[in-house]
Amino acid sequence: MFLENVKLALSAIGINKMRSFLTMLGMIIGISSVIAITAIGSSIQGVVNRQFESIGRSAIYFYVNWSMVDDYVPSEALFSVDELQELKKRFEGELVYADPDVYVTSPVRVGNAEKKIRLDGVDAGYENFADVDIIYGRMINENDVKGARPRIVLEVNSARRLFGTENAVGGQVELVIDGEAVDFTVVGVYREKETIFNQISTSDDLYAYIPYSTAPEEADPTLYIYAFLAPDVDVAETALRITDWLAQMKGMPEGYYVYESALEQQNMINDMLGVVSVAIGIIAGISLLVGGIGIMNIMLVSVTERTREIGIRKSLGARTGDILMQFLTESMIISALGGLIGTVLGVGIAAIGMTVAGVGFTMNPLVIVIAVGFSAIVGMFFGIYPARRAAKLDPIEALRYE
Amino acid sequence: MGEIIRLTGVSKTYDTGKIQVQALKPLDLVIEQGEYVAIMGSSGSGKSTLMNILGCLDRPTSGQYLLDGQDVSDKSDNELSLIRNQKIGFVFQSFNLIPRTSALKNVELPMIYARVSSKQREARARELLEKVGLGERLDHMPNEISGGQKQRVAIARALANRPPIIFADEPTGNLDSASSVEIMEIFTRLNREEGTTVVLVTHEPDIAEFADRILTFRDGRVISDVKKKGQTKGEVTA
Ligand SMILES: Nc1ncnc2c1ncn2[C@@H]1O[C@H](COP(=O)(O)OP(=O)(O)OP(=O)(O)O)[C@@H](O)[C@H]1O
Ligand SMILES: [Mg+2]
Repeated sequence: MFLENVKLALSAIGINKMRSFLTMLGMIIGISSVIAITAIGSSIQGVVNRQFESIGRSAIYFYVNWSMVDDYVPSEALFSVDELQELKKRFEGELVYADPDVYVTSPVRVGNAEKKIRLDGVDAGYENFADVDIIYGRMINENDVKGARPRIVLEVNSARRLFGTENAVGGQVELVIDGEAVDFTVVGVYREKETIFNQISTSDDLYAYIPYSTAPEEADPTLYIYAFLAPDVDVAETALRITDWLAQMKGMPEGYYVYESALEQQNMINDMLGVVSVAIGIIAGISLLVGGIGIMNIMLVSVTERTREIGIRKSLGARTGDILMQFLTESMIISALGGLIGTVLGVGIAAIGMTVAGVGFTMNPLVIVIAVGFSAIVGMFFGIYPARRAAKLDPIEALRYE
Repeated sequence: MGEIIRLTGVSKTYDTGKIQVQALKPLDLVIEQGEYVAIMGSSGSGKSTLMNILGCLDRPTSGQYLLDGQDVSDKSDNELSLIRNQKIGFVFQSFNLIPRTSALKNVELPMIYARVSSKQREARARELLEKVGLGERLDHMPNEISGGQKQRVAIARALANRPPIIFADEPTGNLDSASSVEIMEIFTRLNREEGTTVVLVTHEPDIAEFADRILTFRDGRVISDVKKKGQTKGEVTA
């Protein structure tokens, strides 16, 4: 019986191809836009999450609350390297890494070629928390930092650009730090995970890590502390205790130091994307409503047109439920077909968009099932009224209908 | 043979709001299994009204209708659908085939509602169409065949679930005399060979001649009930 209804519905749709297509258009537009936007949204979310992954979820900055500063930050508010050590000791087990966030741009000379390079001054163990993938040599170690030894770990593209080879370990580069030219020895080469940001915005720049102690003017004292929390701690709670402790230690008023954590930022962005999804959901709901009303309208027309046919079927023994199911099946199939076409279209749009943007496009096949299923439900819901009208027709009156 | 139809005081009044039309005056009527009945009478005399009630398409305003021993007066819509499906074959003046649907599919319809498997349906529909002489037209659409052929498809369809009784309301009303005779020969064969009860309405005396019993209507009343071979039931009064 169900199979018969499906065949009937398909032939009814086939007889009025243009009309059926126009009826489906509402569903097609609704579903395809929802699919495209959610696919793009989840791809963006994936990129954002990967980006934070590469920074390290537990990364956190501590710095001065600018609203509590008058004209300039007093020198007694800055942190010395010794105070950083004290901080680490005090919060052992919770704060697993802290450096004075040295970040300098320097000319870099290899032989006669001179370029600009961005230098990130780090402490030993940085690679344990950030997403640094050493492919040749080693990372900055304890001895490098303690002895302020001129050692450098180059990013792989930078290594290739400076030395013409990826494995630049053992090479020499001349940097200018705190106004002095110093020769650094390359001890390692690392690769950064590819993300949308470093691909697009910074492909021309050179990067490297150096021991923070080789840039003492930047490092000691410092305005910023760059740190990692242990992965299992409550970020907000721990960070507040740390800022309180910092203020107390420095004899500053409460709230003088603040923090910014990667995890909280990530959550904020995800929340924002969540709000966008809800907005899209509402738009989707409206478009499906419009599509559903379109289906109801055409089904009412169809029932009227086929009044006589309904009368014939009833005279031959069709029961109320038989006629009801016939028309419900038809509206469900119209709607589900619209949903299917919309899904294919939406996935296509998203795939093209993501490919153009250079972002890997992934899509859960379950989305297709859900979209088609949901459209069928919409079709069923809006088909109920016309189908009931058809089912309740009196056979004699229906047969008399001209 | 037993009774297949027994009407007791069956009447029908149409209420059109302003006026009430008593299309069928209270009527008593018995039809035996295997009878071949023709109903005649002038236009508007209530023949179709009676046929619709007999065919369980419409309900009487009053009275009792026993079909094959069952009281159908108090049945629900779905129960009536089942009765129409199993017990009754209906043939209309205007054929009432479903458009854009092949002859074969049209004949399969009553069997679809009887939940017969598709294989059996198709086999039976083929057999029936061959029986009415349309073995070559199985896949033709209703708009591709003549009136006489349409009516033959309609008869094949009416026979699909082997009903004991066939009602035909002016089955030859839209046909030329040659096709009319062909259609009547099918009904006669059904009645003679398979014992199917046939009740038909016609305006034409020579069509009515095929039947064994002729009921004549006037103003919602049977004014004569004549059985052939000289047998007369006489005047029927309400
Ligand atoms: N649905 C209806 N509403 C109101 N009056 C009706 C309805 N159907 C039939 N009638 C009236 O009932 C009376 C009998 O109609 P019926 O159709 O039974 O006549 P008939 O004998 O079949 O006529 P014909 O030979 O023209 O087919 C007529 O006066 C007709 O106008
Ligand atoms: Mg009539």
